[in-house]
Amino acid sequence: MTAIDVDAAPLADADIARVLRQRRQDARLRVVYGAGFPIILLLIWQILCMVGVIDVRFFPSPANILATAYQILTSPDEGGRLLADIGATLQRLVVGYLLGAISGIVVGVAMGLYRPIRYAVAPLVYATFPTPKLAIFPLLIVIFGLGDSSKTALITLAVFYMTAINSLSGIIHANPIYQDFAKAFRIPPLTQWLRIALPSALPSIMAGLKLGIGQALIMVVSAEFVSSSDGIGYYIWNSWQVLDIARMFVGLVVVMVIGGIAVWLSNLLEHALIPWVKH
Amino acid sequence: MSLTALDSSGQTPGAAAGIAAHLGGIRRSFVSTSGLVVNAISSISLDLVEGEVVALIGPSGCGKSSLLRILAGLDEDYSGELVWGDGGGHDQGRLASATVFQGDSTLPWMSVDNNIGLGMAGLRLDKATIRRRVERYRDLVGLADFGRSYPSELSGGMRQRVAIARALATEPLLLLMDEPLSALDAQTRLVMQQELLDIWKKAKSTVVYVTHDINEAVTLADRIVVLTARPGRIKEIHRVPFGAERNVLELREHPEFGRLEAELWRLVADEVGQKL
Repeated sequence: MTAIDVDAAPLADADIARVLRQRRQDARLRVVYGAGFPIILLLIWQILCMVGVIDVRFFPSPANILATAYQILTSPDEGGRLLADIGATLQRLVVGYLLGAISGIVVGVAMGLYRPIRYAVAPLVYATFPTPKLAIFPLLIVIFGLGDSSKTALITLAVFYMTAINSLSGIIHANPIYQDFAKAFRIPPLTQWLRIALPSALPSIMAGLKLGIGQALIMVVSAEFVSSSDGIGYYIWNSWQVLDIARMFVGLVVVMVIGGIAVWLSNLLEHALIPWVKH
Repeated sequence: MSLTALDSSGQTPGAAAGIAAHLGGIRRSFVSTSGLVVNAISSISLDLVEGEVVALIGPSGCGKSSLLRILAGLDEDYSGELVWGDGGGHDQGRLASATVFQGDSTLPWMSVDNNIGLGMAGLRLDKATIRRRVERYRDLVGLADFGRSYPSELSGGMRQRVAIARALATEPLLLLMDEPLSALDAQTRLVMQQELLDIWKKAKSTVVYVTHDINEAVTLADRIVVLTARPGRIKEIHRVPFGAERNVLELREHPEFGRLEAELWRLVADEVGQKL
């Protein structure tokens, strides 16, 4: 039997230091380039505003947006309103997203594992999937009223489709050799679901969760554009209507930050849930 | 199609001592999408003796993999009888058969130890026994230092050894191997062949080994079953005279090795030729 050398031919300390130094340097470059490029774009924008190429009435300079943001945040009245709007949006987002994600994963996994459910439910899910969810928003208002519920329901619906379809495809498109293994070794059903089928579908489920974030943001902002008196979507739309363009841009930045934080959190979750997939 | 197969866990009184499994007139047909019936296996009868290594060879499409899937319990849609010998069944903490697949079948989300342990989930074993078997067979396949490693941290050959340990740990009546080394490079394959011989000897396994590699069949098997082209029947059975103490390199210089390999080549080529 061949022995496998785990500690054969140790590297010299100098070599290890060199490899580590290269890695650190690469990590630094990633940060510098990744942050540097957007900063350069912002600078170009700023310069074009200052030399008068861009109409600052519609595209205020980054410095102006920053100043407006500072002004809003330091004014108790304006700042309080912005925070209240952010709070309203976050509440709809979180509740709608969680409801959609949980129900989507449950239905998707059930469709994947149990054929009668798949045959009954999957055609309906696929047939209604291409319908723009926003198109049935009026219907949701009729059902759930003008308050938070209809907006939350819209988000739930959008996230549900993303997670259900991706969970289903994760289960049925998992490597068939895993199922052969489970059957050939007579693995009991519950063990098979929890330790083989579900983990094999996790990368796809995770992809559904990430796509759901984008969907949820689109839905919450759209719903708040159309029918709301609070929320960050309302904040943006209202600023536009009163032609307070700098304030509108502050709202846009807030949406971007919310989206960025959500994606960052989902990446953390992804690393924790599926460490075996190389990212 | 009638199903006369016994339950794989069932004990059959009257099964001859020393017989790990008895195949009696196994047939398998497939129905194509156009409704055409394709006979894959037509009446294969064979007794698998405890402790022997039987290689199945034959032209591609001869049904050797189909036969293996029947033995593995992956295909229950056959006719004929499949009777397991004494000592089988769940009560004894053994699987009737355990399979090492052609492709990588290790689960990437669990460690080597958990991969091996999961294979025993269908047996009613207590935790301590599972633990003991995991360690024993993990060490046996030469992965003593890799119990906590994940498959992605191992080479292809090492992952295949995890799959072998997982199958061995169920202490199966029949260890089924479906071209387990075909995905490996030539050097690794040679090393693994020697390891398989050593492992089988230590684990006292009864093995059914499917391969398209005649050289490998002669290297590893005690008996070689040559199947005909579709529908697969047994064409000839050859006994390999080398015994359990083999060295895969020295074996190649043995005059009988070359003679047997050439003869088997002729048999298989004959079958392929009839098909062309």
